[in-house]
Amino acid sequence: MSFLDLDEALIDLASAIELTATPITDIKEFPLVDVGIIEGAIGNEHDEEVAKKLRDNCRTLMVWGDCACFGGIVSMRNLFSTEEILQRYYSTESTAKDGKIPSSEDLPPLTTVKPINQVVKVDCYVPGCPPSSKVIHYALTELLAGRIPILPSEMMRFD
Amino acid sequence: MSEITLTINDKQVKGKEGDTVLEVCQANGIDVPTLCHLEGLSDVGACRVCVVEIEKERRPVPACTYPARNGLVVKTNTKRLEKYRRLILELIFTERNHFCMFCERSGDCELQKLAYRYQIDNVRYPYTFPSLPVDLLHNYIVIDHNRCILCGRCIRVCSEIEANHTLDFGRRGWRTLVSADVEQPLSESSCVSCGACVQACPTGAIFSKVSLYKGRTDECQQITTVCPACGVGCELNVLVKDNNLVSIEAPRLVEPRGPLCRVGRFELLRETRPRVTSPLIRGKQGEHEECTLDKAVQVIVERLKKVKGSFAGLVSARIPSETLSSFQKFIREVVGSDWTDTLDGESYRVISEGIRQFQDESRGLGIECPLEEILEADCIIVVGVDPEINNRIIGTLVRRAASQRKAKLIVIGSSRDIFPLWTDLWLKPRAGREGVLLNGLAKILIDRGLVKQEGISAELTQSLSQDSISGVSQTTGIDKGSLELAAEMYGQAKQGVIIYGDGLVQGNEPSLVASLLKLADLTGNRVGDRLRVISLKPGANSRGAWELGLAVKGIKYNKPKGLYLLLADEPENKELLSWLEGIDFLVVQASYHSPVTAMADVVLPSPIWAERKGKYISMDGRALKLKQVLQPEVPQDQEVLMKISQKLGRDLS
Repeated sequence: MSFLDLDEALIDLASAIELTATPITDIKEFPLVDVGIIEGAIGNEHDEEVAKKLRDNCRTLMVWGDCACFGGIVSMRNLFSTEEILQRYYSTESTAKDGKIPSSEDLPPLTTVKPINQVVKVDCYVPGCPPSSKVIHYALTELLAGRIPILPSEMMRFD
Repeated sequence: MSEITLTINDKQVKGKEGDTVLEVCQANGIDVPTLCHLEGLSDVGACRVCVVEIEKERRPVPACTYPARNGLVVKTNTKRLEKYRRLILELIFTERNHFCMFCERSGDCELQKLAYRYQIDNVRYPYTFPSLPVDLLHNYIVIDHNRCILCGRCIRVCSEIEANHTLDFGRRGWRTLVSADVEQPLSESSCVSCGACVQACPTGAIFSKVSLYKGRTDECQQITTVCPACGVGCELNVLVKDNNLVSIEAPRLVEPRGPLCRVGRFELLRETRPRVTSPLIRGKQGEHEECTLDKAVQVIVERLKKVKGSFAGLVSARIPSETLSSFQKFIREVVGSDWTDTLDGESYRVISEGIRQFQDESRGLGIECPLEEILEADCIIVVGVDPEINNRIIGTLVRRAASQRKAKLIVIGSSRDIFPLWTDLWLKPRAGREGVLLNGLAKILIDRGLVKQEGISAELTQSLSQDSISGVSQTTGIDKGSLELAAEMYGQAKQGVIIYGDGLVQGNEPSLVASLLKLADLTGNRVGDRLRVISLKPGANSRGAWELGLAVKGIKYNKPKGLYLLLADEPENKELLSWLEGIDFLVVQASYHSPVTAMADVVLPSPIWAERKGKYISMDGRALKLKQVLQPEVPQDQEVLMKISQKLGRDLS
């Protein structure tokens, strides 16, 4: 949402950036790119695999948001066991039928929630919950100028 | 103290001997980040954020605990230090839950500000995710251990400022937790709910329930005014957003009169009584109905003419002096009656008569000493009053003197142990025998030669000689040893302070007050021409009202036919209800609906504390300025009085 909040600035960015893969295009394999962006924390084995795959295929890896930078709100899950979490999600609070916890070997098991830099090397961080479109714009224009963005203190926000 | 010279960041700066490196830096405008340091508290070097490099020291040292010396060469801003500070912040982040997006203090947090300053956009170490308790049981204060950085500011403020020693560290190592008593819920502990820990906490670990979700500091306007709750006259820093009260802080927490009590910090924000927003008069069936101010004034004017007999004015001592003057003028000149009183006027009459009995050429309350004397005392006698009921900050000052100056503490005649940690001697005389006890103490002082006053009048010696010590012991029910011990403690003190209040005054015996003053006089407990004696006054402006001469005659025993009661936002008072029975015509000007307004023939609105401005006189005689914090919802008290006066053809201004 914050990215879309860039509004008309998106038009300028679009002419400078070639988007090769996004969650919307649902492309499973990444081509080799200059910049890879991850938002969200690592919550299961699948996330970990995607992060590693993207890392292998980009020159600069940038992470957006407090979850990706630090673990954020989703890491509250780490205070409880996986069983407790699933129980709460699928039976106590849910309208899912019979409170049945889905299980299939296709479903990736939940892991401890981790920020991205605990799984792969990260080159630059854009914290914020959510990061404001202003800092996203700053980070992208810095990258376009060939610099690794480091947010100045006055742009830092964790909430 | 001698001056010393240091080199900080290649510049020569001056400091005082005994300063820490941090103090020298701060005095010279050199910025050193801090987290566990709080001005006025002792420093412990817990957080290590203030590390500096000192020539010839092998490793960086915390500036807050390192003593400054002549010739010291200090660096505060090297790359290496920045690296360490960043590292320290990262380690703090990994220890517990420091995710800001669901924290009440985000935006007001010192840890967050430092993280922004040092551009902590990631943490290189794994998080520990401990699952720690959150204490939500207390009425006003929440402790979320998950957000605690163990800086110990709450603990130091609880012991050094509030002298209550409720909080301390429990457990060891990385399992350390801030603990109330021995891991009790705060609500079950010895906590007095002063909220100093809330103000001292740099993160979201301790916060106020009362101010929850109401606004962040930078969205608020801050106005400094005076607490309306009692006569101590504490300054309040009131935070306001959109004409709503958000929170109250102590503007100078660490100064002698700095700390606030639970009333000043929390209860003023938690008013639940419904507000009187419109004048009310009695309808045909005798029920209250709303009307315009003009209509209410008309009813008052008509009924005033019909009152057969005496008319009195009774006023709350929460009202500022300017309004009190108008009220006095209103009753005297417009209504034409000399009968005025304050809600606590009875205390005044006993205290002032006591002072007069002691000293013919009475200076009135001017004979009492400033409250700061309590902090300087080496012996304190608290007689007939529980400061925890009406004047909690007095309790704080007494605890501080006892814990920090090792002042001896004697409590006389309380029904409960007021200062459980600190009381050296608790004397419980039989009811009505307080006077015998006080005179007994005077006699022991004289017999033992512990008096400093020269030329004790023969009359006094004569009057005391009738009481033998064993007689006093028998009459009061206090053993001789305790009597002698009490006299010795007080007699040997260099700066003994006597604090008294309600319990001593209620019996309507001014001679008790005179006896107390005599005790202080005998032992030479004077500051200039004042005696080290303090009477606790319940109203914020009691002294202002008394000195204006408003406390003429009470209405408890003699009932007037008509009464104008300016109640303002006084707390509920059951006794007052009984005073009001049998009054023919009752006007109540009040901020809140209550059983009192229910009895009134006419109810008029009145502003609350935050909507008033003017002057207060504190219980020890300091003039204090009240500022208007909120835009008032209702007309000021004077405007209403003026309107009635105009209708009666008189000019109040």
